[in-house]
Amino acid sequence: MAGSASVLEDHSLLSRLDRTLNFTERQLAIVCGLATLSLMLLATVSVAGRMFFNAPLPGYIDWIEQIMPVIAFMAISYTQRDGGHIRMDILVGRLRGRVLWLFELVTTIAIFILVIALIYGSWAHFERSFDFARPMWSNDSSIDISLPLWPAKLLAPVAFSVLALRLVLQIYAYGKAFFLNISEPIAIPLVQSAAEQAAEEAKHVSGSQT
Amino acid sequence: TEWNVSVWGKRRSFTEHIEKLSELVSAKTNGEFTMNISYGGLSKNRENLDGISIGAFEMAQFCAGYHRDKNPTITALELPFLGIGSLEEEIAVSMAVYNHPSTIEDLARWNAKLVMPSPMPQYNLVGVGEAPSSLDDFEGMRIRATGGIGQAFSEIGAVPTSVTATEAYNAMQSGVVDSVAFAEHAHIAYRILENGDWWTTNLNPGVVNCPVVVNIDAYDALSDAHREALDSSIDEALQHYLAEYAKIFDRWDAAMTEYGIEPVTFSDEQANAFREMAAGPVRDAWLEKMSSINVPGQELIDLINATLSEVRQ
Amino acid sequence: MEPIEIGLAVSAGMLLLVIAGMRVAFAAGLAGLVGLIWIFWARFGYAPEQFGKALTISLKTAGQVPHSKVASQALSLIPTFILIGYLAYYAGLTRAIFELAKRWVGWLPGGLAVSTVFATAGFAAVSGASVATSAVFARIAIPEMLKLGYDKRFAAGVVAAGGTLASLIPPSAILVIYAIIVEQDVGKLLLAGFIPGAFSAVVYGALIVGMALTFRNFGPPVKGFTWRERFEAVPAAFPIFFVIGIIILFIYNPIGDKAWGTPTEGGALGAFVVFLMALYRKMSWSQLKDALVETAKLSAMIFTIIWGVLIYVRFLGFADLPGAFSDWISGLQQDPMVTLIMILLAYAVLGMFMDAIGMLLLTLPVVYPAVMALNGGETVAAADSAFGMSGPMCAIWFGILVVKMAEFCLITPPIGLNCFVVAGVRDDISVQDVFRGVTPFFVADALTIAGLVMFPWIVLWLPSLT
Ligand code: NA
Ligand code: NA
Repeated sequence: MAGSASVLEDHSLLSRLDRTLNFTERQLAIVCGLATLSLMLLATVSVAGRMFFNAPLPGYIDWIEQIMPVIAFMAISYTQRDGGHIRMDILVGRLRGRVLWLFELVTTIAIFILVIALIYGSWAHFERSFDFARPMWSNDSSIDISLPLWPAKLLAPVAFSVLALRLVLQIYAYGKAFFLNISEPIAIPLVQSAAEQAAEEAKHVSGSQT
Repeated sequence: TEWNVSVWGKRRSFTEHIEKLSELVSAKTNGEFTMNISYGGLSKNRENLDGISIGAFEMAQFCAGYHRDKNPTITALELPFLGIGSLEEEIAVSMAVYNHPSTIEDLARWNAKLVMPSPMPQYNLVGVGEAPSSLDDFEGMRIRATGGIGQAFSEIGAVPTSVTATEAYNAMQSGVVDSVAFAEHAHIAYRILENGDWWTTNLNPGVVNCPVVVNIDAYDALSDAHREALDSSIDEALQHYLAEYAKIFDRWDAAMTEYGIEPVTFSDEQANAFREMAAGPVRDAWLEKMSSINVPGQELIDLINATLSEVRQ
Repeated sequence: MEPIEIGLAVSAGMLLLVIAGMRVAFAAGLAGLVGLIWIFWARFGYAPEQFGKALTISLKTAGQVPHSKVASQALSLIPTFILIGYLAYYAGLTRAIFELAKRWVGWLPGGLAVSTVFATAGFAAVSGASVATSAVFARIAIPEMLKLGYDKRFAAGVVAAGGTLASLIPPSAILVIYAIIVEQDVGKLLLAGFIPGAFSAVVYGALIVGMALTFRNFGPPVKGFTWRERFEAVPAAFPIFFVIGIIILFIYNPIGDKAWGTPTEGGALGAFVVFLMALYRKMSWSQLKDALVETAKLSAMIFTIIWGVLIYVRFLGFADLPGAFSDWISGLQQDPMVTLIMILLAYAVLGMFMDAIGMLLLTLPVVYPAVMALNGGETVAAADSAFGMSGPMCAIWFGILVVKMAEFCLITPPIGLNCFVVAGVRDDISVQDVFRGVTPFFVADALTIAGLVMFPWIVLWLPSLT
């Protein structure tokens, strides 16, 4: 599950970059949360309009399809920073030190390659829907109320680019940890035992009040 | 040569010309040129044109109303109340528009060449709940109706709320929409009759245009013999399609009884009123949009009318 | 190589990446991308000068998937269902439902433990995720049970097991995910979860009562609540009943002829009510921000794995692997029921090592068509089918079985996540303690699953009404 691991910090340049990027990532995550809230309000308005005023919201589905990419993409890097994307840690959970950093380094590079490929591919997807010469620059629009689709399609390469920055930082940090044999490296999510992870998660849910 | 063909849903009347085309081409080339028809595995239906443009597959079917901005020229064929009376007329009119230079240019942006239409009869609504008895009853009704048909219904107060054909059953089942505009085969194939309570027999607002396209590079790369096999099979594939579609008309009344669907027939007066309220405004808005993107809209409409009177002679 | 062989080779490669600890979403996406490149290059006869073209086509094909797949009305249920759980917590609904259960069923033998089970079942009606439910109740229910002299291992086990109910009883993020992958009616699936969820809760409750009657010093009943006190506890828990009512009316309307709307709208309206409740309880902006960020993180995690796996599925479409696998399964010369049970057992094993959502997303594209073929196809009529139910009903039944299996895996060693969460909340309870305490519930779950397999109507009765 989405266990947030702990990321160590210090005064080095790497850590400062990490925290700067993390600040941006958190703002994007809040945008993503607000989008979820807007989805809730949109549905409430739509239901109320339909049931009490016989006036369904025109383009209800079109709007949902515009909001969903915000929710799906904008927090992807924030989640990667904390190690929140799920994985099977039966093997890496047992590794320590350099061997662990090597595994992390290799798999993070593999993610980086995928993400670069997807930036290209999703940009091409955006480009096919975008045309400066047309009204609203739109070369592809939603079914009912003809909302241009390019802004939502653009979110994918944008979010993946932020993720690519995050991955560069992590690759550097893992590489440094591997070559210098550092036991507690900064700027990367430290592998926790499942129990530590769970404790962290429990703290989230039971932190503030009941 | 093996071509991948991206369509969606299940095999049905609507895809029979593609199945037949594949059969004929393979027979004429002794199995050297085959088509591998995939029902939804290669792409989402709204992105079949993207897939053609990328070169991910060589042939595909799509509907113009799923993405008006991708194919403005062929949306001419989706304008409401064009007065097309039969599938044969639909084929003639579609082919005329497909062969118009601005249509060819429009689709070439996607590296796509139009090869044949998937003609359908006039759309009508199958809906749940209380059946409408006059045009006023459409006020606030959520209708799954794409393109010009959706706009026609919005002229009488309905709210087009559209998903693709594959998602229509769920949308109706779960209450996203109150009624669905489809041709007969699709009301059957997409299980709309299972949900519905009533059917409008004669609103006839128009039809959705769903062409079959090929990737231009793949088409040009065919050997002369293979290209000839493809081109020469199109007429026969369409004839086969018409024969298959006729079976739907034969089955339709029985299907209505089986699912307990109540036919709703509007008076000529009401039907004409609908036409008068919707046809003009939707066409004018369309012409304006076309002129803003340099598509000769009036020329396409004239072409449709000329072709219609030609086939009727 | 034939496309199917490429499909198998790439799938094996993906498993290696997953075992090596690569994040599942990205491992699946990378495997899908590499598979696409391989397939296209093979079509061009591996000509070196054609590699660039194969690469471009593959990158563009894969690059379509993220936007194309997440921009979906049906998937919008997931973030809503996650948000409602976090808001419910800030609205104070956790304690309210526990208090209510205690006053109403506490008088039973093993009363407080039974109350905990029913309270988790009630909270499940506003929470879409199992782990969160266990974590919340570990805080509230365990101390009270310890005060009454319950064994601490058992108390922890009750909370770990009770949490799993959240994924059967709607709203459930995981049922939505299943519905989307297999393209079945979300509403019917959610509806189908109600009775099996309640059934599981009753089996848990009966097990506890039985244990309380068998063992001495088990933990006394909680007696002495007057009817007045019982009714006084109802208002605080009212939003939960409101949400349950809304969701039912929006999926399936028992009192009128059609549902009021979509499950999405029902979920959103429920969230809105709980949101107002949380505001009334003076949720601060920073608490709201926390809820939003946590929702964002969980949503990002789920959606990334959805589009990652769907890139892999797009590649499978080009390789036609699901078709080949379902031909193989339906061609096996054995009783279809035996095959189905073997598939369920395979899920039990896989679930020991994997997260539920990842497991379902990775396996269903291949396993689901095979199970449908086993029953006789997607459109088979009940009379002609292997399991005695129509295609769409089989899809629902299998969905509930698979989700129950996935939930079962949340309490089994070695990775049973709910157990870790409970141990994480309580410093005085070790993971081993929780696994010991939860053991009786394995038996209960095994019985439940057997019951659902043998009596499919438990699952299918409600959805068949719509
Ligand atoms: Na739930
Ligand atoms: Na487990």
